[in-house]
Amino acid sequence: MTIRGDVGAAGRQRLGVVVDGAFNTGLTVRLDGRCSTEELRIGELVVVEGASKRYFGMISDMRLRVTDARLQASPPDDAPDLVRQALAGTITYATVEVTPMLMLDLSAELEEQRGPQRVRSMPMHFAALYRASEMDFDTVFGKEGGTNFAIGSPVPMEIPLCLRLDRFVERSNGIFGQSGTGKSFLARILLSGIIKTRAAANLIFDMHSEYAFDKQTEDGHWVRGLREIFGPQILVYSLDAEAAARRNVDITLTIGLNQIEADDVMLLADELDLAPTTAATAGLLGDRYGKDWLRGLLSMSAEDVAEFCQTSGAHPEATRALQRKLREVQRRGYLKEEAPLSLIDEMVTALGKGRSIILEFGRYDSPLDYILVANIVTRRVRRLYQQKVERFEETKAEADRPLQLVITLEEAHKFLNPTVARQTIFGTIAREMRKYNVTLMVIDQRPSSIDAEVMSQLGTRITGLLTEERDIDAVFTGMSGRAFLRSALASLDTRQQVLLLGHAVPMSVVVQTRRYDEQFYRAMKTRGSESGTPGWTTSDIWNR
Amino acid sequence: MRIGEIIGSSSTQFVSESLELRSPPALGSLVKVRVGDDRELFGVVCYGETVSLDPGRRAVRRSTEEVYDEGVYRENPQLEHVLRTEFTSLSVGVMEGRTVQQGLPAQPPPLHFAVNSCGPEETARFTEGLFYFRVLLAASSPVPPEQVLASHARQVYRARGDDELWLRRAATEVARLLREDYERLITALYAMEQAR
Repeated sequence: MTIRGDVGAAGRQRLGVVVDGAFNTGLTVRLDGRCSTEELRIGELVVVEGASKRYFGMISDMRLRVTDARLQASPPDDAPDLVRQALAGTITYATVEVTPMLMLDLSAELEEQRGPQRVRSMPMHFAALYRASEMDFDTVFGKEGGTNFAIGSPVPMEIPLCLRLDRFVERSNGIFGQSGTGKSFLARILLSGIIKTRAAANLIFDMHSEYAFDKQTEDGHWVRGLREIFGPQILVYSLDAEAAARRNVDITLTIGLNQIEADDVMLLADELDLAPTTAATAGLLGDRYGKDWLRGLLSMSAEDVAEFCQTSGAHPEATRALQRKLREVQRRGYLKEEAPLSLIDEMVTALGKGRSIILEFGRYDSPLDYILVANIVTRRVRRLYQQKVERFEETKAEADRPLQLVITLEEAHKFLNPTVARQTIFGTIAREMRKYNVTLMVIDQRPSSIDAEVMSQLGTRITGLLTEERDIDAVFTGMSGRAFLRSALASLDTRQQVLLLGHAVPMSVVVQTRRYDEQFYRAMKTRGSESGTPGWTTSDIWNR
Repeated sequence: MRIGEIIGSSSTQFVSESLELRSPPALGSLVKVRVGDDRELFGVVCYGETVSLDPGRRAVRRSTEEVYDEGVYRENPQLEHVLRTEFTSLSVGVMEGRTVQQGLPAQPPPLHFAVNSCGPEETARFTEGLFYFRVLLAASSPVPPEQVLASHARQVYRARGDDELWLRRAATEVARLLREDYERLITALYAMEQAR
């Protein structure tokens, strides 16, 4: 009961009063005469003080109004100062639409300690609207510490805004935005946070070799790689033996032909221009050679192919075409006749100890290599994690509980587009691997090209500016309250501003992302804040 | 200063005869009637006219080539006895001691009581609150209420020593009250602007 009285003392700026509203469409607030719409932003966090509850919401729309329509026909544009000043805020005024999202019950001490809950009521007429203060942001998003990681600051304020990384990693996530909106920097920041707070181990498929080591950005300055920041906590694998020798790479990864399964080849259908009959042919080869089907196919002479087709009923032309195309794949430097699975198994062991792994592709950065290798590695990792979880379920020993794993995937639509999402291991992970403690962090500039079912499974979505209607629709797949979030998304700056929505934040919010600079590197290197509890008490909002 | 005597009184307004012919108080000026020991009723002048004592008798031309304007009165001293000047004031509130109550008074002021002009200090005190603007705007008078109000604002602005802040406050209040009628509002605001 103590809070109500000192609301003004909390240093909030009063904006106006509630004059209209409906639970489904939100509140209409008449702005005070002194308050200009220019000082507000779509998507800004605001607070409505009700009689016994405090509501947290977002500004979703603004509107200029006049009390007499005749003003619109003959505006007093050359009127003296006194006249203009008298008209402003009386006959002309502005309203903002506010969508309440959370509420805090102030009437009971106990309730107060439970933190903000999802909104289930609305304030009455004349409840005052305030700009959110730092204290309000702390109430909603918590203080920095533990797995509560500052991802940036709420526009337009300069205070840290936190994301619950423990919740972030427990479901698959998406980072979206047009190119140039800072996706890869944001990914670096999030990965750094996950590594520093030990929220999860990371497996990063680094198609363009940009995460591990220092890299020059488009505007010419150098940014640190994760390996440079976190040292041995990061293991760097590379497919490219030459690059590995040049760079400070830990292990060169090789893939055996025996590890390639028919499904892997099917994923390459686009890249290799494979015929639809390929699946059947590969199946017949599998019947004959088992796991060694690919080696079997590649080593066949022309006579062998004819004989195989005769006995198995495969189409000779299709078989020859498949052989020819896969020989192209065979020439890749990282492919060996036979490679032990132990290299990938060691990877999983390291991940199990909480280390993070970056797999660089070096000069093998074509989509074909990326798809093939990422799929093979992830399939094995998934299998091992599945075993781990099953063992944990048997023993129920805390020591056996597998550490959460986040797989970072760039150009995610190559694995998760509607045609292949059902075949790739990534589709499976996105849909069901939460229960095996493996989740995805997908990074893409075209969310519309990702399978809708996968999109709907993404727990937290972080999106920079998107302009294509289809992409915007895709980001909001399976989310409520889209209409006003759309306007927030459309009002983002082109750089470094993102809309956070979903599982890891109690309410959607627009954020100016942190800078990935010296100060950030230093913050990531300091120890000590990794343990400890998040800065809030147990809140109902997290148990919804 | 005594300026008139009440010759007609009602709940909303009172009519007074000016002590001096041809010089009624300014339109919109604040006047007061002492109705008790410590009780004064305030009004805003909304109308003034000079008419013949005999209602049936119209004035006729008296000027010549040489005699006109003030000269007419010098040449015709009897006019002082057949003409009278009247002014009407809208009741807007009561002051008891230092307490101001804006709005219509409980009783109309008594007939034949004296009407006085207000000094700057009383004017400032009475006009601190602006609720009486509502009373002014709702009144029926031969002069459109917004014109009376604008004239009143000009008078008060001067009386308060060119109080810019008060004038802005008054303009905003007028805008709030006339928000549904843009034409009347603009008329009032432009008229108030003339004060400066």
